[in-house]
Amino acid sequence: MYLSPEQERTLSGERGEAKELAMTILAKVGEALGADSLVPIKSAHVLAHYSSLHEAGIEVLEKFSSSGGRFAVPTTVDPASVDLENWKSFGIPEEYAEKQFRLCAAFAKLGGIPCWSCAQYQVCNFPKAGETVAWAESNSVVFANSLIGCRTNKITSGLDIACAITGLTPRFGMLLDENRRARVAFRSTIDRPTDLDYRSLGYYIGRHSGSRVPGLDGLPRNVSSDELKHLGAAAAAAGPVTMIHYVGITPGSESLKSASGGERVETFDVGRKELGEVEADLNQSEEKPDLVALGVPHLSATELGQLAKLLDGKKVKRGTRMYAYTSSQAFDFVKRSGVMLEIERSGARLTHSTDAEISPLKKLGFDVVMTNSAKLAEIVSSEGEVKIRYKQIAEIVEEVTS
Amino acid sequence: MTKVLYFKGRVLLEGRAKGEALVSRRAFTFAHGVEPSTGVVTDVRSDLLGESVREKVLFFPFGKGSTTGAAWFLETVRVGNGPAAVLTQTAETMVVTGAVLGEMLYGRRIPVMTDFPSTMADVVRTGDLVTVETKDRQVTVSRGE
Repeated sequence: MYLSPEQERTLSGERGEAKELAMTILAKVGEALGADSLVPIKSAHVLAHYSSLHEAGIEVLEKFSSSGGRFAVPTTVDPASVDLENWKSFGIPEEYAEKQFRLCAAFAKLGGIPCWSCAQYQVCNFPKAGETVAWAESNSVVFANSLIGCRTNKITSGLDIACAITGLTPRFGMLLDENRRARVAFRSTIDRPTDLDYRSLGYYIGRHSGSRVPGLDGLPRNVSSDELKHLGAAAAAAGPVTMIHYVGITPGSESLKSASGGERVETFDVGRKELGEVEADLNQSEEKPDLVALGVPHLSATELGQLAKLLDGKKVKRGTRMYAYTSSQAFDFVKRSGVMLEIERSGARLTHSTDAEISPLKKLGFDVVMTNSAKLAEIVSSEGEVKIRYKQIAEIVEEVTS
Repeated sequence: MTKVLYFKGRVLLEGRAKGEALVSRRAFTFAHGVEPSTGVVTDVRSDLLGESVREKVLFFPFGKGSTTGAAWFLETVRVGNGPAAVLTQTAETMVVTGAVLGEMLYGRRIPVMTDFPSTMADVVRTGDLVTVETKDRQVTVSRGE
């Protein structure tokens, strides 16, 4: 991999210890991944939640922050493992929260933007088409490549901080035209998809694309960016997907032919039967849920408004909790607009700056979690500690409220 | 009689290692999929569920899931439960990053190689003895029969 003279100086320690460490990571990982050079980025999005980073991740972040590191580009951050404002009222143990706060302190010292959201592209980090960014968080990566039209690889933790500190990212993978073309295609035959259908469809695509970039045709014209957020998140949770060419939506993908660069690609129909297979796979139980978790990825203010309507006049039954996970920004907005009051009148609670899949569900005493998030279902069942019920929102509300 | 097989791949991180093969045919993730404190695979969708990755030569076709993979890998290495080597069909950023950090922070070198044929999983079986030598881009698999 080519390094410019300035990058060489950084690597040899002339720009300080933190930059040297960051450049060493970029050089080694870039070389290993076959990158030809390092290119500038407009923004970074990094990971700093304790449940995934563990002790080792705290050591990495603190190593950067204690050696004079500062982010070179605007840098946002994925959710924390606890609600950073109301963690005590959610029963989070003090010693667990303390670990998260060490990560928060290191992130702040590095000069990060404390947005703590996995839908940062909806609230605090807005690239434009054609820009190169270095984002962690697989759902954001799919959103960036597929809907915004900017370019990012799925930047893993550790590499994310190195990109943010240097303002550079290795040029490989999804930064290159030839790797962005659709190499497999799916055609949805679902008429008027429900919330769950969008997620199951994404999951199916993630499962069956392998390492090929998928194209997707057959979505309704009025599909919303929130629905595509959840579809992309499900795809990225189920497989190595970093981009989906939504035919007629993704910039430059007016047709499947333009998405694939003119090449004919294998195409699969996805209908009721295929989505049924996904549901059967993700739904592990019929037991009464202790927790209904909505919002992996974070719900937008629009989605919270929709939830308020669904919960209007209803009460969450005793023995079940319902949490809606959102960004701090959407939280503040619905607090002011009155939507929060409408939701919480039902007994459901809003929680912000954290998300279900990275919070200690088992430690908090939850054994059966009901959700319409395929991403949450995939991750939680991967860990094998908590059972998942995977249902559409209308069925969830029907069952757990009166 | 011992049968010996050779495979060539592309070297992502140099080193040498020897260990029992642990072979998955499915997308693999360390994130929420391997418990660092034990090294045991917890992902119910993995065909390696219940197996330990500790000191094994781990083979899987490609990665999946959360971008926190490198952190989970690094924590597994930190507590001494990391694999001896990782071999894949498609280059996997998370393992590479985790392994680079593992060497920088904890001085443990884990060779990573990729571009192996998908048919490798048909031939190499869990439990085979595998030697990884990145200097000649080679993986040697021996099986007692």
